[in-house]
Amino acid sequence: MTDPEENEPAFSSLAPGELGLVAPRDFVCASPFTFKSGQVLPGFTLRYETYGTLSATRDNAILICHALSGDHHCAGVHSADDRKPGWWNNLIGPGKAVDTSRFFVVCANVLGGCVGSSGPSSTDPATGRTYGISFPFVTILDMVRSQKLLLDHLGVASLHAVIGGSMGGMTALLFAIEFPLFTRRVLAMATTSRESAQAIAFNEVGRQAIMQDPDWNRGDYPKGGGPRVGLAIARMMAHITYVSDASMDRKFGRRKKNPANGETYNFDVQFEVESYLRHQGQAFINRFDANSYLYITRALDQFDLAHAYGSLEAAFAPVQAESLIVGFTSDWLFPPEQNRQIALALLRAGKPASYAELATDLGHDSFLLESDDLYALVRAFLERNSAAAVDFSI
Amino acid sequence: MTKLVEKRTVDMEIIGEWVNPASRVLDLGCGRGALLHYLVQTKEAAAVGVDLDFRRITACVGRGLSAYQGDMTTFMRQFPDRHFDRVICSRTVQELDDPTGVILEALRVGRAVTVGFVNHGYWKNRVDALLRGRKVRNAVYTTEWFESRPANPVTIADFEHFCAAKGITVTRRAHLLGDWRTPCRVLPNFFAGYALYDLAK
Repeated sequence: MTDPEENEPAFSSLAPGELGLVAPRDFVCASPFTFKSGQVLPGFTLRYETYGTLSATRDNAILICHALSGDHHCAGVHSADDRKPGWWNNLIGPGKAVDTSRFFVVCANVLGGCVGSSGPSSTDPATGRTYGISFPFVTILDMVRSQKLLLDHLGVASLHAVIGGSMGGMTALLFAIEFPLFTRRVLAMATTSRESAQAIAFNEVGRQAIMQDPDWNRGDYPKGGGPRVGLAIARMMAHITYVSDASMDRKFGRRKKNPANGETYNFDVQFEVESYLRHQGQAFINRFDANSYLYITRALDQFDLAHAYGSLEAAFAPVQAESLIVGFTSDWLFPPEQNRQIALALLRAGKPASYAELATDLGHDSFLLESDDLYALVRAFLERNSAAAVDFSI
Repeated sequence: MTKLVEKRTVDMEIIGEWVNPASRVLDLGCGRGALLHYLVQTKEAAAVGVDLDFRRITACVGRGLSAYQGDMTTFMRQFPDRHFDRVICSRTVQELDDPTGVILEALRVGRAVTVGFVNHGYWKNRVDALLRGRKVRNAVYTTEWFESRPANPVTIADFEHFCAAKGITVTRRAHLLGDWRTPCRVLPNFFAGYALYDLAK
């Protein structure tokens, strides 16, 4: 996901219809956790936020799953001075499409992340030093299983819905596969059932930028240090894959940073788009850990439902949830076709599933778009009753 | 408008009679999902609709239906033979780029195919065209030609000829008079306003 920009208007966090102040909490799981790789952690921490109230029947929870560079802070603000709210604040809040006055919304930073959850930048209790690349390899399945433990801890009996875009969409799909009786609705946007060669290729360029930076030091670097140049380059490159030719051209065109300078013959920043990408890179290194970037991109690369379960239809066979898959026409990272294939496989497996496609020119990040059409669709899906007079799922 | 809604209901009732309970139904050009919703509620059908429009898909989703936004032929190609018990193509054939391709593909993925259409051979349409010399406009086709989508009007005679030429078996017919309610027993291509066909390979 793209980072907020400097010149955006200040956000009024305490206005009516806004969630207002929220605070993160930590879930500490003290029992050993075995990763898909077979590696074991003696315990782990997930940082999370919740909005709204869990109902007496404990079945009104909605799990929000974040993308590669996202975190648990998906709505509201941490202080009245915050310039930007959580990353999906336009969708989540009282009276919004994901209505926090009806639903109990949960969002956790993924395992392997760097915003409070256990990951390579956490301290290894055995050595007293950060794990670095000795942290167990993380998969989307590990993210799903650890978040299920969090939901159990919170007393959630079943999920009204699990929602995510991009990597969050993978997480949401896998939740419905792994915990079919627990998951009643899946809403996955701008996602894929299988990371494509192109997407793996972009991830690999990012990882190489990090690992070729001498400050990476095989993952062994102090907190606040590390491969800042490599991570910034990885982010600049990845950022391009989240937007589109049309949206970049509209936003920057060929505008120069200092038009008064006329033609310049050096390699300093000339175009606004260069300056913008450098800002994106710099903003990212102040909030993200390079090793986490390696781990999470690797988890994305390994995601392949058809391979993991034999076929996509076999993967979806246990699903009990109703699904809604949303693709975006200008998304070239996880193109509409890859989203369509998810819905089609669900339908072939005999599951209730819908596919909608929004025409946008904003690229992969379109799922974060402020769009009344998208809000209406999300609301329709979350607030509907099943059309069937008889529930076949029982 | 009320008249139109009423006419829609008649269409739904006949199709509903042809749909077996708890069968798997695909509606091509499902619109806002009124027919599918009816079939789910009255027949407990496992229903899927296909349509091109995002807001119509939203309406279907809100009704609790499964709906797919995209091209109907591309959609059907993704399913094995006889995956659906019934494929419905209600008031869509006259707007298809490739009606033969769609109906043959529907006959592959569906055990039965229901096609419903407004009969352009209906006498009022003929009189309209003959006397006024203008594009047909009535309660169903309300728009001027310049506000209309491209259409490929079909008559009962055309459709019968199509089925014969392609070796498609007609298992049931319903021809209705101009009120879309009373069965039409004579000269349907002249007297019937609406036609429903049930097809099999």
